[in-house]
Amino acid sequence: MFKFFFKKENRVEELIYSYLENLNLIYDNFEKAISCCVQKPFCEEFDFQKRQTHKYESKADDIIDEINNLMYSKVLIPDSREDIMNLLLAIDKIPGHLEVVLSIIKYQHFIIPENAVSEMLELIKISLDSCKIMSKQITCFIKKEKGQREFLNKIDRYESHCDHIEKNLIQKVFNSEIDPFVKLQLKELILHMGDISDQADRVSKLINILSLKRRV
Amino acid sequence: MLSLLGGIFMGWSLGANDASNIFGTSVASRMIKFWTAAVLASVFVILGALISGQAGIETLQGLTSFDLPQAIVASVAAALSVSIMTLAGWPVSSSQAVVGAILGIGILNSQINVSGLGKVLLCWFTTPLGGAVITIILYKFIAFFYNRIQISLFGADRLLKIGFILFGSYSAYALGANNVANVTAVFVGAGKLTVFQAALIGGLSIAFGILTFSRPVMETVGKKLVELDPFSALMVSISLGITIHIYTIIGVPVSSSQAIIGGVLGIGIIKGTNTVSIKTLKSIFLGWFLTPVVACVLAILISFISYLKYTGP
Repeated sequence: MFKFFFKKENRVEELIYSYLENLNLIYDNFEKAISCCVQKPFCEEFDFQKRQTHKYESKADDIIDEINNLMYSKVLIPDSREDIMNLLLAIDKIPGHLEVVLSIIKYQHFIIPENAVSEMLELIKISLDSCKIMSKQITCFIKKEKGQREFLNKIDRYESHCDHIEKNLIQKVFNSEIDPFVKLQLKELILHMGDISDQADRVSKLINILSLKRRV
Repeated sequence: MLSLLGGIFMGWSLGANDASNIFGTSVASRMIKFWTAAVLASVFVILGALISGQAGIETLQGLTSFDLPQAIVASVAAALSVSIMTLAGWPVSSSQAVVGAILGIGILNSQINVSGLGKVLLCWFTTPLGGAVITIILYKFIAFFYNRIQISLFGADRLLKIGFILFGSYSAYALGANNVANVTAVFVGAGKLTVFQAALIGGLSIAFGILTFSRPVMETVGKKLVELDPFSALMVSISLGITIHIYTIIGVPVSSSQAIIGGVLGIGIIKGTNTVSIKTLKSIFLGWFLTPVVACVLAILISFISYLKYTGP
């Protein structure tokens, strides 16, 4: 209705959906990079997937910049402007966490110890699953569709599960006989991996608050 | 034309001040560009004055009988009292200033239409009350549907923007229809203007005020209302238009500022929060009392001064 008069608003809407699609590409490349790292550390494929993750992360930044510019040209009413900018700022921390994990692996020449592989992969899988559900929750919020609460509960469960895995992993690492320096390296990596689902949970709760706020 | 200057000045200051009640929120928050708001408000104020301004003009001119010098005195006294009260920082209603000035002339003529005055006073008292009640009913009714329809965040945004433009224009129409009487009704009473001429000159002078001097007022006053969420702000805007329109049909010019304060109070009642401070309420009551009194006293004083003759040493 009257869409013709709202070109800038339509552009922001398109950009948000393209940002969410781009997020999925980041998750896919990150997952592939981690899988390469486990199967064959420091292979070319890992480097390629890391570069791809970085490429899409930069693209996400470009999209956010364009949305920012449109927002500064007073597109949307102030309330929606504030809600969307807060939401995007919160989501944008996730690609950052993913890049940090890959950078630690690459620049610290990190090889994941065999006894931690399965739990780390599980941690990554569940974290990325919660991020993908978060993307669905965002779409649901923007389109004002039903089912937002189910997504919120699911992400909350996943985040608790990730916390549990994270604690177990750290305990396992410090109970093992590996070099103390590697233990610290591993702890840092595990904490950064844990940040992914934590941030997805924060975004999910923010969406819930925004959606409650928008009820009249 | 010179004799109409007091009324034209009144219209100009009314336009400059009251446009902020209509489009202040949308302009201050940059939802609508100032010039879009100013042009829309001006056009609809003139239309409102021409199409529905007659009832208010007839009520005010019927409060007492005037000759032309008395009409000039009334309009100058009203304009002066609005200026003095604005400079002193007190809330002021041009409708109350004009009625106060007419009352002053009525006291001098020993002729006041008591039933007409009673109707006007009752309407003043019920303006904020009406604004509050209409806002509460509107909010509850529209929110019921708004929460149930599946409309995207962007769709809701578009809907609110369109709402602000449509109902802002409607409020401007109602303002023109209601407040044009404040500007030129006394000249109709004095036989200087016909009702159509009064509506046209009054509407044009209000529009002139909107186009030339409403921007700073819109941007400062509007920001005070931006604190409301957009849906509530739109409800207040719709309620403002309806409240003023009802009083236009009754034929009594009322204060748009008091109607909007009533609307904001209504939102506070729904949400259980203090949207209007006790200090603001006190200043409104002070304005209610002081504006007509100052205008009445000024009208009597100016009348006496106009009869003084220089006799020489």
